[in-house]
Amino acid sequence: MIATNVRRLARYLVLAFAALWLGLGWWQVLEAPRLAARPDNPEVIAARRSALRGTIFDADGQVLASSVVIDGISRRTYGDPAFGHVVGYASLRYGTTGVEQAWDDLLTGRSDPNPLTDLVNDILDRDPQPRDLTLTIDRRLQDFAAAQLGTGVGAVVAIDPSTGAILAMVSTPTFDATGFSGDPTAAEAAWLALADVPNHPLLDRTRRGHYTPGSVLKILTAAAALDSGVITPQTTYPDQPAQETDGFVVSGFTIREHPLGEVAPALWPLSPALQVSSNIFFAHVGLDLGEGRFLDYARRFGFCAPLRIGSAERFLAVDASYVSGRTDDGCASFIDRVELANAAYGQARTEVTPTQMALLAATVANGGLMPSPFVVRDVRVHAGDPLAGPDGRVLESYAGDLRRVIGSEAAADLRTAMVDAVHGELGRRYAGAGAVTLYGISGVLTAGKTGTAERGGGLAPHAWFIGFAPAQDGATPAIAIAVIVEGGLSGSVGAAPIGGAVMAEWLRLLGSGAG
Amino acid sequence: MTARRVPLTGLPPRLPGLRLVLPLALIVPLGFAITNIARTGQLDPGPMDLAVAFVALVAVASAALAVSGYRGDPLIFPVAATIGGLGLVMLNRLPQQPLGLNLFGVELGMAATQLVWFCLGVTVMLVIALRLRDDGFLRHFKYTWALAGALLLVITFLFGREVNGARLWLYLGPFGFQSGEAIKVSLVVFIAGYLAENRRVLAGASLRLGRLRLPPVPYLVPLVAVFVAVMLVVVISRDLGTALLFLGIFLTMLFVATGRRSYVLMGLLLFVAGSLVAYQLFGHVRVRVDNWIDPFVDPTGAGYQTVQALYAFGRGGLFGSGLGQGLPMVGGHLPIPALPTDFIFAGIAEELGLIGAAGLLGLMLVLVVRGLRVAMLARDDFSAMLAVGLTLSLGLQTLIIAAGNLKLIPLTGITFPFVSYGGSSLLASFAVVGLLLSISHRTALAVAAEGAPDQ
Repeated sequence: MIATNVRRLARYLVLAFAALWLGLGWWQVLEAPRLAARPDNPEVIAARRSALRGTIFDADGQVLASSVVIDGISRRTYGDPAFGHVVGYASLRYGTTGVEQAWDDLLTGRSDPNPLTDLVNDILDRDPQPRDLTLTIDRRLQDFAAAQLGTGVGAVVAIDPSTGAILAMVSTPTFDATGFSGDPTAAEAAWLALADVPNHPLLDRTRRGHYTPGSVLKILTAAAALDSGVITPQTTYPDQPAQETDGFVVSGFTIREHPLGEVAPALWPLSPALQVSSNIFFAHVGLDLGEGRFLDYARRFGFCAPLRIGSAERFLAVDASYVSGRTDDGCASFIDRVELANAAYGQARTEVTPTQMALLAATVANGGLMPSPFVVRDVRVHAGDPLAGPDGRVLESYAGDLRRVIGSEAAADLRTAMVDAVHGELGRRYAGAGAVTLYGISGVLTAGKTGTAERGGGLAPHAWFIGFAPAQDGATPAIAIAVIVEGGLSGSVGAAPIGGAVMAEWLRLLGSGAG
Repeated sequence: MTARRVPLTGLPPRLPGLRLVLPLALIVPLGFAITNIARTGQLDPGPMDLAVAFVALVAVASAALAVSGYRGDPLIFPVAATIGGLGLVMLNRLPQQPLGLNLFGVELGMAATQLVWFCLGVTVMLVIALRLRDDGFLRHFKYTWALAGALLLVITFLFGREVNGARLWLYLGPFGFQSGEAIKVSLVVFIAGYLAENRRVLAGASLRLGRLRLPPVPYLVPLVAVFVAVMLVVVISRDLGTALLFLGIFLTMLFVATGRRSYVLMGLLLFVAGSLVAYQLFGHVRVRVDNWIDPFVDPTGAGYQTVQALYAFGRGGLFGSGLGQGLPMVGGHLPIPALPTDFIFAGIAEELGLIGAAGLLGLMLVLVVRGLRVAMLARDDFSAMLAVGLTLSLGLQTLIIAAGNLKLIPLTGITFPFVSYGGSSLLASFAVVGLLLSISHRTALAVAAEGAPDQ
């Protein structure tokens, strides 16, 4: 009887060993490719150490990042600190960020843009072929924007509204990644030195900076209201002129206007209300829109969820922007009507990234079609001599697509109001400094909006400007921009001049044959 | 039934068994040579003294068995030695520096230390196999064995040295050993003795409660009491792997003795319930289980070794990276710190591939099947139960550690028999083989005696 039971036991044990064999097959054959692709696999780390990495070029073929292998260790050199955040870094010790991280598999040649080539390489056990990237950003505009920000703390994001191509993406203060990506013996000192630089130089403010938008958010409110028919460009609120001085009581809470200076309150429709940036007017608009429509339009414009700069496969992630409190899956409901009214003019719990605000401006500029942003233009065969420019063989190129967010009429009405905000009798004193005509470009209208985001606690407000140019009827806007300067006092003084100058520089570069 | 007294030696020698050592004589030197070629990049087999010494040891032991007229299972020792040889090749391939034995002022590397333990282990095995005339001292003093095991356990618990959060090491001067290995063997002896004596009662009789047939509880009490006491101490010592192994051996032996799946089922239910409670109560259990469910949550902290082991399996693929060509060093260290002990299976799977790892498991399965065959042929219940328990102590231990490496079950730190670095484990494993050989040998002699017409 024991013998019978032992025989049964033997059968069970054979089954158990068979389970182990299946387990071996699972990890060693089926899951092996996935395990081999994980960045913390020691094999991947060892391969990175010695592998040549592709070059990153700007739109004009200038080298932004390139590698050489010295003594079997791959060292990376970065040419331009203005690109510090967008290009990122690939350090053996401190990881990868930015484009270096998102396009890592192509730069290292770990995978090929063409899946078939990938398979063939795998079967033939070929050595990885590093690929080169070309960005959509022209180094001249990027450097110009960085110079405009100067020693200030802030960010500039510029987009080509009709394609979604990123034209500039600067965050200051920036850093030079060569120190900790090149010679490994010097890496630690260079890295530690960064800790002493004030204002967190490693933070990419364009994508990870969370700012109260202040009045620039009124563009979202106006777009939603015009497109949904809640207002027309002629809509006025009879109570508004008196409330400009007395305050607007919503559910027991009094909303007050910002100091209007010499401007006398009047019954303002959209254009003058935007020109003087009337909080009262937009509080009314927000309440008329209601929570549902306001949140709906915010989501259409890309708020309430992380954004992607690039394709679904490889992209720079942009933190979500919020018009209300944040929840795990997006924007929360407004607590009450007071929060809704305050959010409508960019206060309360609103919190946005510069990239999101540039996209908002670009959508208005593009007649209500929102472009999907991208920053890597193409992938090429690795150029043996980077200084001689990129190789001619393009393996894959990217283009954004367009999504209708608001109707073209609403967009045109909003564009008119934004042009007035820069050039109009009332607006000029606020956003006038954003006009490209001030920076040597003639015959071009600029659309824009300034913002001054109160921070409380006695801290100087953040200065915002969003806009686009050319903005006259019939022109195709070539650049849309968002500028933020932390503690820049007011949008008019701190941000609008930078916005105007950068847009003017781009129009100048386009005129001279760039892009 | 009393054991038949038979002569153990003085029979005509049987030499054909020696052939089975031949593959080993090839594998180990070849493994050493490949490792050295990969390490130096030159076509030089490198130092062979350890390989030659190992092959010689196995050959001498086989010859000793053959010359002394050993008639038992011819496969068990060669297979165990081959498994051990693979382990030695792997240990020789690893960095030798941090570990090792200091023998009379001579610093030995890891592989050399392991070879010293092999010598001791094989000697113990031969002594047990050839000198154990009678298993009476095992069967009649089963409670003494249980007591000795329990005493060892308590001593370890009180005076043991803590390593990695578990108190498993007992030190006598400079020599330390994991007492769990010795306790394992004495527990198997006790359970085998108890079950052989009471198995008919346990299998047949039952308490009836209405339509329910309950097991004869009173007869189970002493057995369960001893077992629970052992388990309690083991669990308190945080030695989860040993606890799992003991439980597995206990339930399986109960099943073999009685043929009643209900025992196993009840045991498993209790185990599941106990596990749930332990998960709630003890942080270290929670860490293990969470880490098993998804080690990639914390790939540099709690999940580090598991994740690195999975990477090692993945890198190995079907054919392996080759000896000495896998296991990339991380910051001058092995990617998996516990590679020589708990994760040696992952290391073998990386360098010898799925083919090599599956082969190693296959060898272990051969050993298990041969061990069970010894049990089936055994002439008395005690010998049969003892053979089952001893075989299980090797087989289940392999299953638990290999499945833990493969993330099929939560990882628990126990050794891979004959392969992992460690003297206690080797000694215990060879003692187990020695006992199996002696049972097998006595069975063969008994069969021969019965078959002989003039006796």
